[in-house]
Amino acid sequence: MNESLNQLTTAIKAGKRKDARAATAAALEAGLPPQSVLDALTEGMNDVGVRFKANTIFVPEVLVAARAMQKSMDLLEPVLIASGIEPEFSIVIGTVEGDLHDIGKNLVMMMLKGANFKVIDLGVNVSAEAFANAVAEHKPDLVALSALLTTTMPAMESIVCDLSRIEPPIKIIVGGAPITPDFADQIGADGYSADAASAVELAQKLCANAQ
Amino acid sequence: MTPKQRIRAAIDHQEPDKLPIDFGSSGITGIHCSVVEKLRDHYKLEKRPVKICEPYQMLGEVEGDLLDAMRIDAQAIFSHGTIFGFPNENWKPWTAPWGQELLVAERFNTTTDNAGNIYIYPEGDTDAPASGRMPKTSYFFDSIERIDPDFDEDELKLEDNLEEFGPMSQEEEAHWTEQAEKWRGCERAITAPLSGTCLGDIALVPAPFLKKPKGVRGVADWYMLSADEPEFLASIFDRQVEIALENMAKVAKIAGDVIDVVVVCGTDFGTQTSLFCGVPQMRDIWLPRYKQINEWIHQNTNWRTFKHSCGAIEPLVETFIDCGFDILNPVQCSADGMAPEGLKAKYGDRITFWGGGVNTQQTLPFGTPEEVRKEVLSRCEIFAPGGGFVFNSIHNVQARTPVENVIAMIDAVHEFNGDK
Ligand code: B12
Repeated sequence: MNESLNQLTTAIKAGKRKDARAATAAALEAGLPPQSVLDALTEGMNDVGVRFKANTIFVPEVLVAARAMQKSMDLLEPVLIASGIEPEFSIVIGTVEGDLHDIGKNLVMMMLKGANFKVIDLGVNVSAEAFANAVAEHKPDLVALSALLTTTMPAMESIVCDLSRIEPPIKIIVGGAPITPDFADQIGADGYSADAASAVELAQKLCANAQ
Repeated sequence: MTPKQRIRAAIDHQEPDKLPIDFGSSGITGIHCSVVEKLRDHYKLEKRPVKICEPYQMLGEVEGDLLDAMRIDAQAIFSHGTIFGFPNENWKPWTAPWGQELLVAERFNTTTDNAGNIYIYPEGDTDAPASGRMPKTSYFFDSIERIDPDFDEDELKLEDNLEEFGPMSQEEEAHWTEQAEKWRGCERAITAPLSGTCLGDIALVPAPFLKKPKGVRGVADWYMLSADEPEFLASIFDRQVEIALENMAKVAKIAGDVIDVVVVCGTDFGTQTSLFCGVPQMRDIWLPRYKQINEWIHQNTNWRTFKHSCGAIEPLVETFIDCGFDILNPVQCSADGMAPEGLKAKYGDRITFWGGGVNTQQTLPFGTPEEVRKEVLSRCEIFAPGGGFVFNSIHNVQARTPVENVIAMIDAVHEFNGDK
């Protein structure tokens, strides 16, 4: 494997944003295929997800890794687009109405980006209507809802209920501290996961099944 | 025993005559204003609007008549300024979006946008950019991140993140004097907040009390500091502690004899399943500074020190003990590794659990009164023996919690105490 690609993976694992940018620039200048740069980046984020899930690194380390990924993406994205490489799947994500917790939602979003999903982030305090509009506009493969409060779990339920009436049907995944697999089932969501790395696996599985 | 003696005995690991109870003595052991009103109705207390003692989380003041009715052992002294930088004084009526008539401070000034979201302002100054927002369907505020356009993550300046820390103002001194006079001789244990000893509380980082915050003010940016620039973080904390110790000496002089428990720090180190910071970093950055604070307090006062941290923090409890904290809150038993039996067995004789009484993510909001009763009795049986336990739910009682469940919780503690 090329030296700069190794450096990119290492920089992302360690959350070194300047190194990540420099390695990406070097790789692109050397004319390496953009897909290989993307793969190096994904490999780095994947490793971060695994260590986060295993509790050997914590939120701050994931955030710096994601920021390094973003610095790399800033250079890589235009090249990917120019060579017609587009993410296979897209996902609309947001924290439900009434809730402003977004650290967990953002981690899920970053890991999805790292796994080469196109992510449309609606931010926090997102209403059913805003989710429905985003689905109509972006035609995503999945919708992801986050809630951290018992007071906003009812909002999650009613958003899932509203979105389940959309035609053609759209798959919905949910998560956040108070959410349990039972609750996810009960409100009719298509999937639940307890952490960001598993959210990626879940999203990949649901998208692949749909094909 | 008086309620004060009861709480002090519990903290000192002597089994008191009854298990002491706290609701309302701090901004993390309180009750949402909507539930306070329902409790007042239940106990048939005088009909009057609930006062907002903490505007960020919209906690209602648990006034003396309600403390009596619920037989609560702790009494709050609140700080002079609120999180939005205005003092809690000169009350005026305010109608909440859920229809409740409340009393709020004079400078609790709000505006509402077309979508029905409510905004609140630093120091109550509606000419400044809003620093808090309550979504239309929400029950509390959250900070609005106001990032300084000149902020450069490669050029961090210490003083930017120290703006909020300084010597105690005359108004604050007057507040302490007044509160000390008011509560001297109170039968209940007095809980008071310290200022400036919160090391990195994420709720305070966006500085909703400042009109134009500078420096690292974003939630994610702040967390990244601990990965990127731990020395910078340590320098902020060093300066904070230096200032806080001076202010603490003043509080001790004015109200030292009145206070039983001081809330030192509310920084959350846990998530539902993990930590925000590993043990080595905690010991490196936080431990020496917390130790300095706790040692000063234990050498110079008769106060007991209270540390709040949500989440799955079992791996850090040993470190909190090494820091010299007397009390841990809210003991989130619903998080990973936080089962009550294990905590009591491993740490119960060395730190007091103030909280952990009932799960506020499941049982209290969604269970039946009988499920609440059973859980409360079980927690009391586990945590109470030998002292080291003050009953409180896990964090504040949230909005939309059925009042029957709150009553079932309180009644269960009285039942445990043989007082039903
Ligand atoms: C940090 C925090 C805050 C910060 C939020 C900052 C921000 N910008 O997000 C601040 C200080 C602002 C805050 C405020 C409040 N908070 Co808060 N907060 C927390 C805390 C300590 C950690 C949450 C967190 O960020 N975890 C880290 C992330 C990485 O984890 P996560 O969010 O769980 O996400 C992971 C998984 O859940 C999953 N996931 C998340 N979303 C999704 C979505 C999908 C689709 C999938 C598949 C997976 C998934 O993947 C993520 C990554 O692994 C929790 C404690 C806890 N036990 O969780 C309390 C907690 C959530 N807060 C709580 C409360 C009540 C509040 C307040 C009302 C104030 C209060 N304490 O009374 C306000 C309300 C704010 C508002 N209007 O929304 C309570 C909720 C209790 C309840 N009964 O509902 C908790 C549980 C604390 C407690 N012990 O009681 N809070």
